[in-house]
Amino acid sequence: MTQELLMSSTETRGKPGVRRYAMVIDVRRCIGCMACQVACKAEYDVPLGVFRTWVPYRVTGKYPTVKKQFLPRLCNHCDDPPCVRACPVEATYKLEDGGFVLQHYDRCIGCKACMASCPYNARFMLPEHRTYTDITKVVDKCTFCYHRVIQGLVPACVQTCVGRSRIFGDINDPNSEVSQLVARHATQVLRPEQGTKPHVFYIGADRSLTDYGRAVYHKDEQADIERAAFNRNKHI
Amino acid sequence: MNEYTVFHTMAWPSAYAIYFFVIGISSALFFFSALSWFREDYRPLRENAFYASFVLLAVGGLLLIGDLSQPGRFLNILNPAYLNFQSPLAWGGLNLISFGLVAVLYFFMMRKGDEVNGKRLAIIGSLLALGLPIYTGFDLTVHQHRPVWNTPLMPVLFVGLSLVSGAAVASFLTKGSEAANSAMRRMMLWSGGAVGAMLISLLGTTAYGGVGAELTFMFLTSGTLGLIFIGLGIIAGTAVPIVLLLAPLGRQQVGMMTASVLILVGGMALRYSILYGGQILQTYY
Repeated sequence: MTQELLMSSTETRGKPGVRRYAMVIDVRRCIGCMACQVACKAEYDVPLGVFRTWVPYRVTGKYPTVKKQFLPRLCNHCDDPPCVRACPVEATYKLEDGGFVLQHYDRCIGCKACMASCPYNARFMLPEHRTYTDITKVVDKCTFCYHRVIQGLVPACVQTCVGRSRIFGDINDPNSEVSQLVARHATQVLRPEQGTKPHVFYIGADRSLTDYGRAVYHKDEQADIERAAFNRNKHI
Repeated sequence: MNEYTVFHTMAWPSAYAIYFFVIGISSALFFFSALSWFREDYRPLRENAFYASFVLLAVGGLLLIGDLSQPGRFLNILNPAYLNFQSPLAWGGLNLISFGLVAVLYFFMMRKGDEVNGKRLAIIGSLLALGLPIYTGFDLTVHQHRPVWNTPLMPVLFVGLSLVSGAAVASFLTKGSEAANSAMRRMMLWSGGAVGAMLISLLGTTAYGGVGAELTFMFLTSGTLGLIFIGLGIIAGTAVPIVLLLAPLGRQQVGMMTASVLILVGGMALRYSILYGGQILQTYY
């Protein structure tokens, strides 16, 4: 990306001297085993009912040519993150070196402006009670496994992905696998029209999953039942 | 099952709609009280409107703090080391607090009958009061992916809603003054008309927007939310009161009171449906 295309001072993709981590998800390789979701839950003690990463699917086509399409989702660690702009107390911030969008838990007031501003539903409110962790009643999200990456490891979801559907690396390094995948394949990002410059790139994602789609006309009643049950117990 | 996704909760629940409602009324009531220093027809409203404004300001502040998941940390918003001026919430917090402080000073000047300082504080307080509906509108506008919210109309619409709802409450506080009643009737008519025009514009841009806007339009105009937005908000809460106020009955006390009640019901319904309308679709993404 040329310097002229950088729209805001927060963007670090293509900026010399800094790393810009990104994830490439090749949905053609995803088998929907949900191991990434489980690994993430285990890594962070993510409570029931909320997710840092999740794998929705949709069955498309007509028998006998039906296809179950998965679209692993997580925080897109945007280069121009609306959540950082929306937070009144700078509890959400973006690291220049690495591009991680992270959270100061002790500063978050719980106004949920970041949740309202996120086009990807990547943020959630932590419930009042957690099993092993005392960080509660603040907004949380995927961190791209910052604590692992700074130790030279890849995120837990990437580590566990059985089909190597998830690839992680520095997109500012032209020799990295993510750079080469993005250069060689047609990739999609979620909701590019929002100008957030997401850094989760999909290979082979179907528009029936990346867009709102007409499925909203036929609402998923199970999700409504689960949402009602979750709210009834006043977890949030 | 052909589809699976996890459910997502709405970021801002109905407490925010109530907050928008009370803070809008509070700012308009202060404005009417302030106008009484410059216009004789508003004079009966000076004390009553101010007291009601102050009570609603306190209620609104408590609602806002109570809705935080960490209410004890609301002081973070006053910490200069933390403040993020890119966020309308930061401006809003400062606006609310400075408005509260000016309102306290205004109270003392009003009690003292200090014409010079009273007028000064009335002007400063009115500007700060104007900032409250504007910032609440910006709270919604800045979220670029939210249909209905992300329009430059929103801060102006909230000012209009503030004036019309505030005038509806003020019409109960005029102590039977003919002049004040007439002023409030005019205020309800003009601001109600402006709100009506903006709602038509909002519906138009939403209906002819992209996929998200189109689906949001569907939610806003059908089912329960449709009943609240179209039925209570637009028809019962905006169109009917305007017609009533224009009719001969609207010049009488009973007609004006009826219109005021309808406007208040409509004002709450509009804020609720606009708040929810912008969030429903996202919960399915």
